[in-house]
Amino acid sequence: METTNLSQPSFATQMRALFVIARKDWKVFWRYPLNAVSHVFQPIIWVTPVYFMGKAFSTNGQALGFAQYSGTGDYMSYVLLGTALSNFILTVFWGMGFALKEDMDAGVLESNWLTPVSRLQILVGRTLTSLLTTTITSLIMLVMATFLFGFRPTGNVVAAVLTAIPMLVGLYGFGFAFGALVLLMREANTMVDVSSFLVQGFSGANFPVKSLPYWLIPISLMLPLTYGFDAVRGWLLKTNTLLPLNVEVAILVVFMFVMLWFGSWIFHRVERKVRRLGTLGQH
Amino acid sequence: MEATLSPQSLGKPGIASDLRALWAVVRREWTIFTRYPSWIIALFIWPLIFPMMYILTARALSGIDGSGLQVFLQNTGAQDYIGYIIVGTTVWMWQNIVLWDVGFALRNEQMRGTLESNWLSPTWRFAYLLGHTGPQLVSMSLFILITAIEFGLLFGVRLHGSAGLALLVMLASIPAVYGLGFAFASIVITAKEAHTFVFLVRGLVMIFCGITFPVSLLPGWMQTIANWLPQTYMIHAMRAAAFSNASLTDLWPDLRALLLFGAFWLTLGYVLFRMMERRARQTGSIGQY
Repeated sequence: METTNLSQPSFATQMRALFVIARKDWKVFWRYPLNAVSHVFQPIIWVTPVYFMGKAFSTNGQALGFAQYSGTGDYMSYVLLGTALSNFILTVFWGMGFALKEDMDAGVLESNWLTPVSRLQILVGRTLTSLLTTTITSLIMLVMATFLFGFRPTGNVVAAVLTAIPMLVGLYGFGFAFGALVLLMREANTMVDVSSFLVQGFSGANFPVKSLPYWLIPISLMLPLTYGFDAVRGWLLKTNTLLPLNVEVAILVVFMFVMLWFGSWIFHRVERKVRRLGTLGQH
Repeated sequence: MEATLSPQSLGKPGIASDLRALWAVVRREWTIFTRYPSWIIALFIWPLIFPMMYILTARALSGIDGSGLQVFLQNTGAQDYIGYIIVGTTVWMWQNIVLWDVGFALRNEQMRGTLESNWLSPTWRFAYLLGHTGPQLVSMSLFILITAIEFGLLFGVRLHGSAGLALLVMLASIPAVYGLGFAFASIVITAKEAHTFVFLVRGLVMIFCGITFPVSLLPGWMQTIANWLPQTYMIHAMRAAAFSNASLTDLWPDLRALLLFGAFWLTLGYVLFRMMERRARQTGSIGQY
């Protein structure tokens, strides 16, 4: 008779593990309902100073200076789209790096590590609920922003979504590498905040990268996310893009494969080192 | 003759034991602060990158020919848009950091499971909260100093006003900023959903207090709310003190408002702490989270 052993994982057991992790996070998320509400309002709060600052730069409601760089005077639609995409970037950073720190603090990381589930899978599992909640809250945010600030996308929504997918998958690679750093440094908050803030800033979440000082532009052009933000805006708002749209999409696809490989390679190396040192449970 | 010894009991606290408890909390917080090397990032990188994002957005809004910038300078009356933004964002960061540090002082202990046992020790309980303020004030002063140095060196931002008056505005702001932190710490420990409260309070500052724009651009009802927030006066007074020729007389209305807000928030902070302390004893919920 064949016995089913938990230490012999199959595709079904892996899926079950993913589902269990996501369900646990879902429960925790809804256990704090005010927190859930704040997920919708947070991005609106962050863009409000930009909205009023833009007004201070505008004549008769038109940001003509901004249009010289971006090709559109509708700076709020530009910023809101960047904010919605940034929500997903944050989800991957928070979802993995911060989840590891949370498990360290709660003292469950070591025991989770002992389960016969791939470690990368645990990391991916920790992002599933937040991806779902981010999608929901970002959509609500955009609907609210339509009334508050006037969000007016006029382009191809399907092409924009298809462009965003390789960017988001590639971000998982980023997240794996970042998770490795958290395992080593054992402090996540500052690293998560600073790195996601810098990455978002230099990839043009709030402004066209062409407006950056010339010495910062090369940094921006080296970040694949720059092309993601640029292409999605190109499709939806018909802004001037840095490169032809099909070239930007190709860059994103290459980025996806390279980052997934690189991120998981780094993570495995660091994780092995941490296990050897026996510092996994320390925080 | 039998000598009578009065036992020195830790359960009979005096001023000296209160101060010792306070010092112990200060020392512990300082040790924790310096234990994680990321404080270097917090002190050197944050002062630069948070305002930078607004500054870079402002740069994009200015346009290639700078036409947008002229409109901004007319609307704000500012001479230097970078200095204008730095003041607003630094005040926001100050309040934000106090909310996370002081506001979370008790909550973090609750999460670590040490609050209940500390609560049982015969010490002055307010020291747990007050003790967080000392290292926080030191690190925050460094933070503001580093902001000034970094933007002075990298962006050529120069003080056009009076450093003394700017310092006076900061001193007058301390009671309001930390009083709010004390009140916050007690609310958070009772309501548990700490992050949401931080997001709410710092969100109010971000929306209403004019961190990157003049409050006069807000609709009337929003300006009314802004007038009830001390950070509006902090930002206004700090900009006037640092980047214009404002005198003490010009700054007095803002300073008076800040001192009144300070008295209010410190009192409320202490009252809420005592209420929370009593409630915790009655319900036995101090260790729950």
